[in-house]
Formats: sequence, C-alpha cells, structure tokens
Amino acid sequence: MSAARPRQLSLRRQLLLWLLLPQLVLWLGAAFLAYQLTLAYANEVIDRTLAKSSSALARQVKPFGNGFYVDFPRAARDVLEQDPDDRVYYMVSSPPEAFLLGEPAMPRPPLGVGAPSGATFFYNGKLGKLDVRVAAQYLPAGTPDKPELMLVQVAKSRTLSAELARRILFDMGLPLLLLISLTSVLVWAGVSRGLSPLRSLRRTVEDRSPRDLAPIEIDNAPAEVRTLASAINTLLDEVHAQVAQQRRFIADAAHQLRTPLAGLKSQTELVQAELAEAAPDLPLALRQLRQVETSVARSIRVVNQLLALARAEPEAGLQLAPLDLAALAREVAAEAVPRALAAGQDLGVEGEEGALPVHGHAGLLRELVANLLDNAISYTPHGGEITLWLARDAGQARLEVRDNGPGIPPQERERVFERFYRGSAEGKGKGCGLGLAIVQEIARRHGASIRLEDNPGGGLRACLLLPLSPTAAG
Amino acid sequence: MKLFVAEDDTVLADALLTRLARLGFDTEHAADGIAAQQRLLDDAFDAVILDIGLPGLNGLQVLRNVRVHKPALPILILTALDSMEDRVAGLDAGADDYLVKPFEFPELEARIRALLRRHRVVDSQQRDELRFGRLRLDRGGQRAWADNQPLELSARELQLLDILMGNADRVVTKEQIATELSGDGEEVGANAVEVYVHRLRKKLDGSGVGVRAVRGLGYLLAAEQ
Repeated sequence: MSAARPRQLSLRRQLLLWLLLPQLVLWLGAAFLAYQLTLAYANEVIDRTLAKSSSALARQVKPFGNGFYVDFPRAARDVLEQDPDDRVYYMVSSPPEAFLLGEPAMPRPPLGVGAPSGATFFYNGKLGKLDVRVAAQYLPAGTPDKPELMLVQVAKSRTLSAELARRILFDMGLPLLLLISLTSVLVWAGVSRGLSPLRSLRRTVEDRSPRDLAPIEIDNAPAEVRTLASAINTLLDEVHAQVAQQRRFIADAAHQLRTPLAGLKSQTELVQAELAEAAPDLPLALRQLRQVETSVARSIRVVNQLLALARAEPEAGLQLAPLDLAALAREVAAEAVPRALAAGQDLGVEGEEGALPVHGHAGLLRELVANLLDNAISYTPHGGEITLWLARDAGQARLEVRDNGPGIPPQERERVFERFYRGSAEGKGKGCGLGLAIVQEIARRHGASIRLEDNPGGGLRACLLLPLSPTAAG
Repeated sequence: MKLFVAEDDTVLADALLTRLARLGFDTEHAADGIAAQQRLLDDAFDAVILDIGLPGLNGLQVLRNVRVHKPALPILILTALDSMEDRVAGLDAGADDYLVKPFEFPELEARIRALLRRHRVVDSQQRDELRFGRLRLDRGGQRAWADNQPLELSARELQLLDILMGNADRVVTKEQIATELSGDGEEVGANAVEVYVHRLRKKLDGSGVGVRAVRGLGYLLAAEQ
C-alpha cells in the first residue's frame, strides 16, 4: 500500500471502459461483416448475369472449317455494350489466348484454373485501369480429328458492386454511429445512476463528525451498497463499543477513587482540627497539613472533572430540553460566590435581567458555567473582579465570564482547550487542565460556540454563544 | 440521637464516626450490606448514613428492604455515584437525601440535622437556634447575640438575619428576601429590602460577620476577613 502505487481507475471509468470499448469493437466488426456480405451478394448478382452472357456468347460461336463462324449480329453487340456506365466486355479466343473477337485486353484466367470444359468459372482481374469481374468457360472447338479449345470470357466492371457495398455500409453506418452515441449516453447515465448510492454513501461518511458513531442509514440502496454500509456500520459499532468501554473505564476509575479521597479528606480535616486545638504552637505541622489538604482538593477536582468529561462525551443522543440559561447561570454563579470570596474576589452577575430560553441539558450546562467560573476564580489574583455577563445577541444567548486576571496570550488560546494542557500564566497549578476541554465538549454538543477573547480593560473573557429557543428569539 | 453508618471504606468510616461522635451523636457502624440490613431491622435508629457500593448486599437493596418495615426512618445515601440516573434510583428506592463523595463534612452535618428536623426527631437539649461565626440567633425567642452581647434588632431585621443565617455561605436573592419578608398582608419591595439590609449591616458592625452584596445576585452572610 505504498503511495507510489498507481491509482486504480475509478469504478465508473472501469465500468464505462468495459461496457463501451467491447461494444465499439463489436459494432466495427459487424460493419465490416456487413460490408463483406453486401459485396458477396453484389458479386453473386453480377456473376449470374455474366454467366448468362458468356453462355449466350458461347452459343453464337460455331466452328466453321478451320475457323469460326460468329453469329453476332450488330444488335446483340449493341445490347452488350449499350450501357456506357456498365459496359460488358467480352473476348473469344481459340486456342485460348489467341484473340478472335471482342476486347483484346481481357485479363487472363488465373493459372491452374483448368475447369472442365463447359463449366463457367469466375475471377477478378484488371482491364486497363478498370477492376473487372470475369466469367469464363472453356468450350470444345475444332474438328473431331483436330480438337481444339475455345475460351469465352465476359467481364463487367466491379465498380458498381463496390459502390453498392459502400453505399449500403454508409446507409447502415450513420444510424449505427447514432446508435453507438445513444448507447454510450445511456450507458453513462445508467452507470452514473447505478453508482449514485455509492456517492451518497461517500457523502454520508464524509459529512460525519468523527465523534458521531451512530450507524449509517441508507434507505432503498441496492444490495451491494447495503452490504458495504452494513460492513461500515459493523466497524462503527465496534469502535463505538471500544470508546464506550474506555469511557466506562475512566468513569469507573474515577468512582473508585472518590471513596478513598473522601476518607483522606475527612481524616485530614480531623487531624487539622485536632492539631489546631491541641498544639496551635506547631505552625509547621499545620502548614504541611494544609498542603495535604490542597493536594487532596486538587485530586478530588481532577476526579470530578474526569467524570464530567466522560459524561459530556456523546454516547447516546443528548436529551435537550427547554430551559432558562440566565436562571441556570445565576444559580451556578451564586454557588461559586463563596469560592470567589474565599479567594478575595468580587464575583457578580450583570447584563440581561430576564430569561434566556434555550434548548439544552441542564446538568451539562451547569458544569460548563461552573468550569468557566472556576477557571476565572483560579487565575484571577486576590482583589480581582469576575463578572458573569448575560445578553441576547442576534437570536443567540450570549454568556460571558469576564475577569481582570492575567489573561491568556492569543497564541495559547486554541491550545488551552486541549486536555491536560496547562497555560503558562500565573496561577497554574490550581487547575488540572480539563476544565476548558469539558467546556468545549459541552458547547459542541449544544451547537454552541466558545471563544476566548481579550477583556476590554484587561484580563480574559470567555464567550459562549448558544442559539435561543426559536419561539423566544423574537 | 443514634446514627447508623453503613460504609465499607474503613478510613472514611473511621473519620465519619469520629466526627459524628464529636458532635454528640451515638453511632453504630457496619461494613457490609447484610450486617447493615440486620442491624437496621433489629434496632431503632434516629437516622442512617448509607453507602450504595456495599459488599454482600447492595445499598439500594438494603434501602428497599428496610423501607418496607421502616417507612419513616430518615436515610441519607452517601455514595460516589453522582449521575442523574443514580440519584433518581437512590431517591426512588426510598432515600430521603443524597450526598456525593467526596463531601464537605459541614454539609453532611447540616443535611443530617435537616433530616432529623423534618422527621421531627428533635433533641430535647438542642434549642432551635442558628449559629454563624460569633453570631447566635434564637429563632423561637426572637433574639440574637454577637459573642453573647445582645443585638438590638427590629422584627424585620431579625427576620432578615434569620433568612441570611439559614442560608449561611449561600447567596440569597433580593426577590427571595422580599418574598419571605412579605406575607402578613404586607408587600415588601426590592427597595425596602435594600433599606433593611443597610440597617442590619450597621448593627452587625464589629461582630466579625457582615452582609455582603453580590452584584446582580443578592446578598450573603460572610465572615469578615
């Protein structure tokens, strides 16, 4: 399977080649055969006329003493020579080739034709520049004591029969050519039509998002295409099963980690409380316990994010329901306020005060907004300001999370959506690199767009645009 | 107050039992489903913390079996499973509440207390009061203290403080406050809420607890740094 290997002709070309080329050869063969047959029939007609003429002529020649008496009245000669376009030439010779009468340039019979006397034989020859057909017969002549042979030859031009054959060929050829063209067009159309299910299969596969592993549905396709589609579907099923298995593995692993993490967290908090009470003069131990606590908190976050990601990825179709994005976002922001306060930040909601009706999955959209807010909280310094901005924007619901943190350099903005990518900005080490990947996955599943932009006045703003429900878009 | 904890992770169970004991609860523990079901059917408990992934007998099965005989027993599911389907399955099986691991212990405590209240299992020694930082509010007697110093609050301000302390560390919207303050035939508007908040703020000055305004959302009671 090297790239240098010449490409096979397309199926359409192969079909056309195999259908049209043999057809052309067959048509040509048929034309040649028709020409030959016509010629043969035309010769046959000429031969019959010539045979009659030569017999008639032979009857007029009678031996007379040492010579011949030719009873060839002028009128009969005129009849023979009457048609100037189709003249009949004749020659009588005895012994053969000793000219007696007629046209002396008559072509000789081919060698070795020693036909029995009386039988007429035919051959082609040249009379001057003229192609002629000749009928000849040997007849007994002379006296019984001095037998002699007499040769009677009658010739006619072959031009007319060739002309006839050519005309018949021409008359046949034109409709034949038309037929060939018509057949070609029909074959082309038929092949195109026959291949159209293949083309539509190709389009279906091409238009697929790589994440969409649902079986391909082709209605009314011919059996060959259906088997191909079902083979593709079998493969899709297997890929789907494997992806699902991997996702289940991630989810299971995350679930398995949750209980021990809960234990670790709870025990750490216990020790911290105890130590703070019993030995408040051990600041180093307390500080180190806080490090453990931070570490535990981060592990818990990663586990939760992994689960959220596994859930956001498409397995079955997403059930979208009408909901109010504004109310949902305000709720999530309210839940994030204590975290922002703990980080010394001012988190608030501005913009649209009414509802933003959209179609969506409430759980996933909550996850999306929470991730955007958590990111802002993680990367905005103490004393910073974070704003959840809601608006209607040309039939779309616009949700922005604006902060006055360090922002993200433009060249990094695409990469931060990758899994486990960690920006170079200050404050790294707080996130796990999955937040924005989750955001993007959820946005994609809602047909929404998510972009990172400069916040006018410094910092970053993450903009989500989600289509408003049609009835409410106004 | 006797709590039953069914949890197979020994480290987590140990922490839970220790902390619950510190809060003054009597506790009993089982590490597998069969033992848990046996104890729950045999004895009387005030509330149950139940894991789902129990060895021997699944927590949901334990829940269903126990529910048949004890329909009023407050049961809280504490599990690592957090999908919508899992929650629905848990609540359908008869759980009263559902908390996902890992959890904040204060939240677990609050939920257990709420369960006990809802099921009218009130500790005779425990009074109906709310605490936040140095603040204390006696809901029955309509009095409040900061570090045992009585606070001079009007009825409206006490109501407002009750709402805020009942939602400590949670944002309460202006509309929510207005709705809760209205009621007795009197409509309270958003402007009035702002006035009450302003007055309460002044009176809480120096108590270490403040009413923070959250842009576009409402207010929340927070410890001052």
